[in-house]
Amino acid sequence: MVENVPVSKTHAGGQPPSRMRGAPSRMRSAVLLPVDDEGRVEQVERRLIQAVTGGVLRVGERLPSESELSRVLRVSPVTVREALGLLRDRGLITTKRGRTGGSFLTEAADPIAFARARLRDLTRLALRDLGLHYAAIGSACVALAAHRAGREEIDTIQRRLAAAAEHEDQEWSRHLDEAVLELTALSQSARLTREQMRLQAEFSPLLALITGAERRKARESAFRRVLTAVRRGEGRAAADRFAAATDADLVSLIEIKQELPAE
Amino acid sequence: MTATTRRRRPRAVRLVGEFFDTAFEILETWKPDFAAELAAVTQDSRLTAARLDDVVRPYAAQTLGEPRIPVYGAGFIAAIGLLHDARGHLSWWQGPDREQLSLAWSIINKEHLDYSEFEWYRVPMITGAAHLSGPSVDYLCSDEYTITISTPVSIRGTFAGVAALDLLVDSVERHLVPMLRREAGRATLINAAERIVASTDPELAPGDKIGRTEATRYPCGSLTLLL
Repeated sequence: MVENVPVSKTHAGGQPPSRMRGAPSRMRSAVLLPVDDEGRVEQVERRLIQAVTGGVLRVGERLPSESELSRVLRVSPVTVREALGLLRDRGLITTKRGRTGGSFLTEAADPIAFARARLRDLTRLALRDLGLHYAAIGSACVALAAHRAGREEIDTIQRRLAAAAEHEDQEWSRHLDEAVLELTALSQSARLTREQMRLQAEFSPLLALITGAERRKARESAFRRVLTAVRRGEGRAAADRFAAATDADLVSLIEIKQELPAE
Repeated sequence: MTATTRRRRPRAVRLVGEFFDTAFEILETWKPDFAAELAAVTQDSRLTAARLDDVVRPYAAQTLGEPRIPVYGAGFIAAIGLLHDARGHLSWWQGPDREQLSLAWSIINKEHLDYSEFEWYRVPMITGAAHLSGPSVDYLCSDEYTITISTPVSIRGTFAGVAALDLLVDSVERHLVPMLRREAGRATLINAAERIVASTDPELAPGDKIGRTEATRYPCGSLTLLL
């Protein structure tokens, strides 16, 4: 157990850091930014949370060793240790000592359980602000895609999403995320696509909580409308429809949040 | 092409052609040795991802160290089902630090993405020939705007995957635009789908389709130089 673990200022309750500090113009996905130690620990913590709750690792599974994590995430072992400490505080991992020791994922690290806890912790305001950010970037991307994408590229997205129809809700939600990402990339903007990816990392686990035939049909319909506008080269309509789809998702999430049992 | 036509081909076209030809050549040079090694290690058993990484690593390093072309990423993407312990796998190194790609630890978990439909995989697999794809935002590997050159690798007559390299469109611009301004004044490089890769014209944006143009078209492989 590391002594004197710094308590991050932006780290209140279940609220993860809300801001990425100054980035060089080309930020590669796996590189963590050379900022002060505290900022780095937050980023490592966030990356580890995404990994543990995003299905990279499973409940009960042992995390890679500190040195392995240090290598993969390209930070010092001390930073990894501090980040693991924060995960321990959140109850996402437990650490055992000894030969069969290591850090193990707890039940709370299950993606759905974690997403529900997150939805419970977020205020409606924070949720809507995340949605606003997501919609702003996404709308800009689909507007560009309307101008720049070829019809075959849109048809490919349409076809792949249709092929995902058989999957159950959570899995299907992931396929929708991928379709959104693919459409975003058709903007031909690497910066906007990276930004959308960062937002997806935050938003998608919550979107996966939207289940049920009716809601799923509505989400698919809304996305199809975006694709249609893009295919027709109608940038403004595509942007509006993307914003509308995100808004509908936000309403669903708030409804689901209301129904969550109080802690 | 007759001798007369060859003489009339502008220098700018030749230089652009040479640039991309070299990129293709880099992969074709090591492909046979690599394929032979792959064939040897898969003779009696199926590969694991880690073992494949070991085989690919020196070839990727060689490609990334290539002085003639600004290679951003390089490696080998296994055919779906080739490996014993994973459905698919990319043995890939990229970036100024030549970091190994780790799909699981990217901004989002990309492990579930099925790469078999990407142009750089699908076209060489189907045609049996090397292919240039892009420019496009590569949201699988680099998260950058790239052009990918890929070539199919076979083991005992069966498709085993593609050897590939990535070029940043940024680097292509740095490498070609100053030369194009010198040699041709006004020039625009587009891909087979009419998408602009680079241009000397301040009003033409990479990523946009070129639209109608009076310029003369000079093919450079699957790309076209408009002068």
